[in-house]
Amino acid sequence: MTTFAERPTIAAPRQGVQKTSLGSQFVKTITSTDHKRIGFLYLATSFAWFLIGGFLALLLRIELARPGMQFFSNEQYNQIFTMHGTIMLLMFATPLFVGFANVIMPLQIGAADVAFPRLNMLSYWLYFFGSIEATIGFLTPGGAASFGWTAYAPLANSTYSPGIGGDLWVMGLAISGLGTILGGVNFITTIFTMRAPGMTMFRMSIFSWNVLLTSILVLLAFPPLAAALLGLESDRLFGTHLFDPANGGAMLWQHLFWFFGHPEVYILALPFFGIATEILPVFSRKPIFGYKGLIAATIAISALSVAVWAHHLFATGKVLLPFFSFMTFLIGVPTGVKFFNWIGTMWRGHVTFETPMLWVMGFLVTFLFGGLTGIILASPPLDFAVSASYFVVAHFHYVLFGTVVFAMFAGFYFWWPKFTGRMLNERLGKIHFWTLFFGFHTTFLIQHWLGIKGFPRRYADYLASDGFTGMNMISTVGSFLLALSMVPFFINVWITRKSPLVGVDDPWGYGSSLEWATSCPPPRHNFTSMPRIRSERPAFDLHHPHIKTEGH
Amino acid sequence: MKANWKLFTGLSIFYVIMAVIYYYVGGEAVGITGMILASCLAGMVGFYLWFTQKRIGVAIPSDNLDAEIADDAGELGFYSPHSWWPLPVALSATAMGLGLIIGWWLTLISLGSLVISIIGMVTEYEKPVSLSSH
Repeated sequence: MTTFAERPTIAAPRQGVQKTSLGSQFVKTITSTDHKRIGFLYLATSFAWFLIGGFLALLLRIELARPGMQFFSNEQYNQIFTMHGTIMLLMFATPLFVGFANVIMPLQIGAADVAFPRLNMLSYWLYFFGSIEATIGFLTPGGAASFGWTAYAPLANSTYSPGIGGDLWVMGLAISGLGTILGGVNFITTIFTMRAPGMTMFRMSIFSWNVLLTSILVLLAFPPLAAALLGLESDRLFGTHLFDPANGGAMLWQHLFWFFGHPEVYILALPFFGIATEILPVFSRKPIFGYKGLIAATIAISALSVAVWAHHLFATGKVLLPFFSFMTFLIGVPTGVKFFNWIGTMWRGHVTFETPMLWVMGFLVTFLFGGLTGIILASPPLDFAVSASYFVVAHFHYVLFGTVVFAMFAGFYFWWPKFTGRMLNERLGKIHFWTLFFGFHTTFLIQHWLGIKGFPRRYADYLASDGFTGMNMISTVGSFLLALSMVPFFINVWITRKSPLVGVDDPWGYGSSLEWATSCPPPRHNFTSMPRIRSERPAFDLHHPHIKTEGH
Repeated sequence: MKANWKLFTGLSIFYVIMAVIYYYVGGEAVGITGMILASCLAGMVGFYLWFTQKRIGVAIPSDNLDAEIADDAGELGFYSPHSWWPLPVALSATAMGLGLIIGWWLTLISLGSLVISIIGMVTEYEKPVSLSSH
């Protein structure tokens, strides 16, 4: 019986094939069916959208820095915050999950590719073109969509928001959402059918589990969004009355939208929880504390997430406050379990603070704060007091920036050697982390107090006598520090582009999951040989055979 | 596969329970419909997985705790090396969405190219059945 299935080694590297022109690289990329290459396309495209969305955020902040309208009209301001929200949630964060899942998940389960490689590329193209279509409204005479990323009825109908920008937004998101649904189908099928022998469901890495449950949530959440969007477009184009307030359409839209919107929050959170869970044991030199507990918590979050949507509707006065308040508190419990497990993983471990671990620390701190204000907002009496104020803005930036951006950079620094074969610079990574950390907290911490003092969200202006000027100024300064923190990252990527190859499978030394058992970067179909899988840490078992992992 | 169908069936049952509770505490129609449909979706996937497992009968190597890597030896399946087709499919779909907004002429053109490109993508690796092999 063999443990390894070795492939014959090719002695001389094929020089002629590897030297390719820019044009053939381009063709290779746009026709690719390789899950890693498509994953890189996803990561690069979503990062580009992150920069565009961040640029729009800076425009909002400079307008708000002083009282009075300095740069934009009200309408332009509305377009900018609408597109900022849309871009950050649906063109940056959601495809970023698809990108990480594409590159890492097949490696972690020991698969050669995803189940449907061409469907994978189709998902990418739908996302790519759909996102451009949704944003291209900026170039039309009427400007882009300006009804907020939530597109509440009747504001979003053709009477109150005429112009082609809104139509482009709706259709673009419908197309892009279709790509996301196909991506979800692809990941579920891959995880169910393409795991390596011995890689049972309960030996799978937590990241792969979270990708599975996120994909299930995609299947539950995106079809209602598509239905709502097409209904809205039918109202706008053909004059139907689906979301006509006269027959309850305003509430119908809010219910449908948040039936998508709340699971969407978990679609954005769960994969990034997974990234943090991959990194913590590696830099604590300990196995994950409570592996099955973490999986159970993730399943509980996915199950409960379809029953909490109407806590976004508390202020309408037309939803069951006790039911949704209770369910929202309940969903805080599995999230608390996750925190318990993360701390348990570090507890009495040999914790070292390499850059990926630093980013995970940033994630834990920031997300914990966002979670705490979430508990406040889950209580209707408190929610009524701060609803639609900057307190809510601060809350969801802590939750989403805390998970998505901190965990994204954690993942970049952690898996960069797996992506490219080269390490990123540690010192620049630390500068990057601390400028971003302070920039973020300067921008958004102050907004809690701004909201409590009564500054409403989505307002383009305020009076000098309102007393918001000082706090808005601090927030704007913070946002520019936050933007500047991208500079060390780009310098880092640039100067390490030709640094020496790591040359080993596991440059961090204590990698657990299967992606650390193949070369950096992995070959076309991922593995030339695979270790025997007997626990949830196959790569650790391979590299440290003298330490016995408790198998599940 | 056991964990798979149990996961989906469990979610399906949970959503039904939530829908019933929501109905009894006085929930509105959209949420009840949404949860019932979510339950149907999860139930459909769960049933398919259960049904497939019954048909396969034996445990696949992925679910075998003592499996060796060599148990999966042999042909892994067919992987498309590269493909042009996803690009025109997505372009036509986007153009069709755009056509709704800017004019039916574009919808009709892109409907045609969408049908052609979907046929192209689906049949890219289909070969005509040769009579001699049967």
